[in-house]
Amino acid sequence: MGVKLTRRTFLKGAAALTAFVALGRLLDGRLNTLVSTGPPSPSSAAGEQWVPTTCWIGKQDCGMLARVVDGRVVTLEGNPAHPRNRGTLCPKGVAQIMALYDPNRVKTPLIRTNEKGVPGRFRPASWEEALTLVAEKIKEVRAKDPKLILWQKGRSKGGAIYDDAFVKTIGATKVGHGTYCADAGLRAAEYTIGPRGGAHPDFRHTRYLLSWGWNLTNAGGNKLCFITWNQQFMEARERGMKVVHIDPRLRPAGPFADEWLPIRPGTDLALALALCHALIAQGTIDREYLKKYTNAPFLVKEDGLFLRVGDKEQVWDLKSKALKPFDAQDLDPALEGEFTVDGARVKPAFQLFKEHVARYTPEWAAEVCGLPAEQVRRVARELAENAMIGSTIVLEGVTLPYRPVSMMFYHMSQQELGFQACRAMFILFMLLGAIEAVGGVRVDFTWKVDSNYEALERVKVKDPPYDYTLKDSKFFPINSVNPGMIAKMMLDPQKYQVDKVPEMAILHMVNPVVSFTDQPLFLEAYKRFKFVVALDPWLSRTADLFADVVLPAATLEKYEGPLGATDQYTDATAFRLPVMEPLYQSKGELDIYLDLCEAAGLLYGKGGYLDHLNKELGLKDPYKLDLNAKPTVREIFDRWARSQGLAEGIAYFEKNGVWVKGPFSPKKYYGYAQSPPFGGIRHRLYGESLLRLQQEMQAKGAERVYWQDYTPFPTWREPTMWKSPPQYDLTLISYKMIEFKQSRSSQIPLLAELAPQQRLAMNPAAARARGIRDGDEVWVESHNALTGETRRVKVKVELTEAIRPDVVGMPHHYGEVARHPWAKGQGPTPNTLFFAGEGYVTNTNDNSFHVRVRVYKA
Amino acid sequence: MAKYAMVIDLERCVGCRACMEACKVENDTPQAVFWMYVFRFEEGRYPNTRVWFLPRPCMHCDNAPCVKVCPVGARYKRPDGLVATDWERCIGCRYCEVACPYGVNYFNWKAPEKNYYLDWKDRDLGPVTHGATPPYKNPDLEKPYGPERRRIAGGGHLKGVIEKCTFCVHRVEKGQTTACAQACPVFAIQFGDLEDPNSTVSRLLKKRPHFRLLEEAGTQPRVFYLGGHPPGGEVRQIEGVKARV
Repeated sequence: MGVKLTRRTFLKGAAALTAFVALGRLLDGRLNTLVSTGPPSPSSAAGEQWVPTTCWIGKQDCGMLARVVDGRVVTLEGNPAHPRNRGTLCPKGVAQIMALYDPNRVKTPLIRTNEKGVPGRFRPASWEEALTLVAEKIKEVRAKDPKLILWQKGRSKGGAIYDDAFVKTIGATKVGHGTYCADAGLRAAEYTIGPRGGAHPDFRHTRYLLSWGWNLTNAGGNKLCFITWNQQFMEARERGMKVVHIDPRLRPAGPFADEWLPIRPGTDLALALALCHALIAQGTIDREYLKKYTNAPFLVKEDGLFLRVGDKEQVWDLKSKALKPFDAQDLDPALEGEFTVDGARVKPAFQLFKEHVARYTPEWAAEVCGLPAEQVRRVARELAENAMIGSTIVLEGVTLPYRPVSMMFYHMSQQELGFQACRAMFILFMLLGAIEAVGGVRVDFTWKVDSNYEALERVKVKDPPYDYTLKDSKFFPINSVNPGMIAKMMLDPQKYQVDKVPEMAILHMVNPVVSFTDQPLFLEAYKRFKFVVALDPWLSRTADLFADVVLPAATLEKYEGPLGATDQYTDATAFRLPVMEPLYQSKGELDIYLDLCEAAGLLYGKGGYLDHLNKELGLKDPYKLDLNAKPTVREIFDRWARSQGLAEGIAYFEKNGVWVKGPFSPKKYYGYAQSPPFGGIRHRLYGESLLRLQQEMQAKGAERVYWQDYTPFPTWREPTMWKSPPQYDLTLISYKMIEFKQSRSSQIPLLAELAPQQRLAMNPAAARARGIRDGDEVWVESHNALTGETRRVKVKVELTEAIRPDVVGMPHHYGEVARHPWAKGQGPTPNTLFFAGEGYVTNTNDNSFHVRVRVYKA
Repeated sequence: MAKYAMVIDLERCVGCRACMEACKVENDTPQAVFWMYVFRFEEGRYPNTRVWFLPRPCMHCDNAPCVKVCPVGARYKRPDGLVATDWERCIGCRYCEVACPYGVNYFNWKAPEKNYYLDWKDRDLGPVTHGATPPYKNPDLEKPYGPERRRIAGGGHLKGVIEKCTFCVHRVEKGQTTACAQACPVFAIQFGDLEDPNSTVSRLLKKRPHFRLLEEAGTQPRVFYLGGHPPGGEVRQIEGVKARV
């Protein structure tokens, strides 16, 4: 593929393309826009160098070039060679230069001298003393049971080296943040389609996009983040793609929504079901896809289970007018109808689905979702028109179905009905045949069936006592593992039939007391840990209140990786490289873990950290680490690079920053392009195992609140929060801001200056009705519909016409860091108002970010 | 002779303010000073609301009011189009600030050491930054530029002196684009030479409808906007950043 730069070229008269940009194949030709205009001047001054590295703040590790003059980093620019950002940066990437130098970073290891639950009085300690103390605790708890050590991450920028190798060395229980992120959607994708992810469009080919809760102007989307998706979005839009934005707020879509569906929060499931109803009523469905690649034709008995002969699911073959196994050759299986087999009445799953959605009309959805019925009908028509069911396209010699309709969803999955809502959304696109087709819905980067596709099918509900993550329990058989549920369990282990509670927490770049919902719950639960150690560049609020030891982590001053660098179309890998020596006494996390394992006697020999690093990094002979010699961090990654076939080792990345391997072939990329398509798995329209799990949960005495959403088809019910009394007449939602990233940025002065204080977004009509004006201070009071608890925070109002009148919104990010001059007075986190636990989690243990509130003048 | 201009695509701008930050770090502007500013606008009533964004650097006008009023000739128009501020000559009378209809001039009320967010004299930073305030201080900003050899890259940010967007003269003279254009994640900001018919800016202006801000004021800006429309009385500013003039 040659470079085809249409419309825009490099700055005329600029310095010629330098090595960073010159590799034509990096640019892939498809981007209809300019890629970078300013590589470093060829006549660099003496004492100046450009160090490639990657952004430390965000999620997708955008490539950066640090301009270093006399050992001092003077600016950070995007690396033009990196496929994800192509020479650009978001405001956080630019501003982290001030995070790097911040004198309010934790400068030395800290050891607590006072009680927990109040601001810490820490004394500075040497690394040796701090690590010895932590190592002793690790040994102590491991002697009882290594699983009583809880390794909690917020953001890990080295899955292989931290989440896998370190955690396995310790034998700790690994808990992520996915339940606060997008895991309900991931479970829906794994269960329904196979790969792991939310959903994103095949941007190069799509023509119609449902931006389903996608915060395009402020945040990421599935798998990747702000910069990459926006670049691809712009190109698609300039090609004529139409955008339908489904969201209680319009602000996320900026000027880019062709149509706004201001949906009532928590009703996305209803909308998806109504769209399914409309497609079936229109007859605009991809019958061939449904017959061949899904379980839609599988015959279902009256008890809700598949008809099986031996172990095999059956279909009714219209050609031979007989019962046949689903994988027999040359079939035309029925999608509709009713049949009698051995005196039993059976129906194809699709027939059942048709009957199931019969009542979910657009008029019904209009009522539930607060949308005009005509808008729902119009979207269904346009989806059908744009889907071009039956058409094909040839890409690189491969003929593939062409279905240029798609969606982007990610965090909106985290609502009480999120798992089934996302299932319904996938089913919507299954009806159109657009899953993994050209221009359609994608889930992962390349086609890969996640192990959960099988594992979730085979979950068995066990008898208590349960693991403290509630894995395989009657509460959450499908379990995204929720720190909030762990916290609830810690306060009442008997209720959850758990007999061993965690004793020690290792906090890896995480701030639970602010970042996780139900702040009062975490403030209580964290008192129960016997020992807490935090790895963090700043003193987070959690560490301030609960850490026994704080270990100062470096930001950009370290080696970290390997880091994925794909933009969905190009295969690439990058590394974080140190832009300078670690500031103060901070260390990179890998350095910390190497030292910690050494102190705990877990570094060397078989089963030690070095052994696990060999395995998880896939180091190959002769580059494997010697299990008896402590390496430098650079050496570890040098061996990794050589194991990958890079003769220069890590020096390749020190020179280039990113290793671009080339475009993904359509054969590797689309599920449809596999042999056989989708690797031979069937997409699950009908979730038979969900029904079986429901029955198992009931048999084990689980309460309704846990099993009610384990239904084979997504089924509408009113969210639990609607049971709150009528005076709680608004719904609070939350969202991200482009200025900040999770819990590591609102103290950075350059960013805090842009948005110094928390604000409640409110519709002017709603405000007027409550005697509230722009800028007024108000109380926002939330209510837990099951427990009756209420919470409240005080915040200033910012009026906006871009939000539903019955909805108020508050972003995250604020109040994260303790004792930082710029974090003072920033205002509350909505996590004080959101709840954890029953009524506010999905059936898969994913947390909801919705709650009913009332708002009144302070 | 080059004829520099900037073209901003309002059909691409996502209002992220990366350009504001990139300008700030490149040019070491003090607290609450934003040579590049991005407006976030809202229009209409629910549910017929519209949201859009407008980056606004200095316009580098061909008929610049600020140049006309400067009593000491510190503010002048270069042949390549850049409207420059010689910070050695500026006497801080703020007449340019009054004359400019776009509000792009910032007066330095404070000495710079007092105005850069945090205390950079921290002892432990010394060995690395040698007390540089801010620690990412750009060594290019204090040098003289152009054939005229005047100090116009905004260095020093001295108390009592006016400053504004320089179109990153210190970068342009090295053949690089402006910091804002470099950073923009969606390539919405383009900078280049209108004398070159093949430059990006030339080709964009030939192909797409465009406007300039306050065309009726006769200032002849060198900043062109593609798509969108000039903000009228009906726009409301949302998410404003507190800037100090």
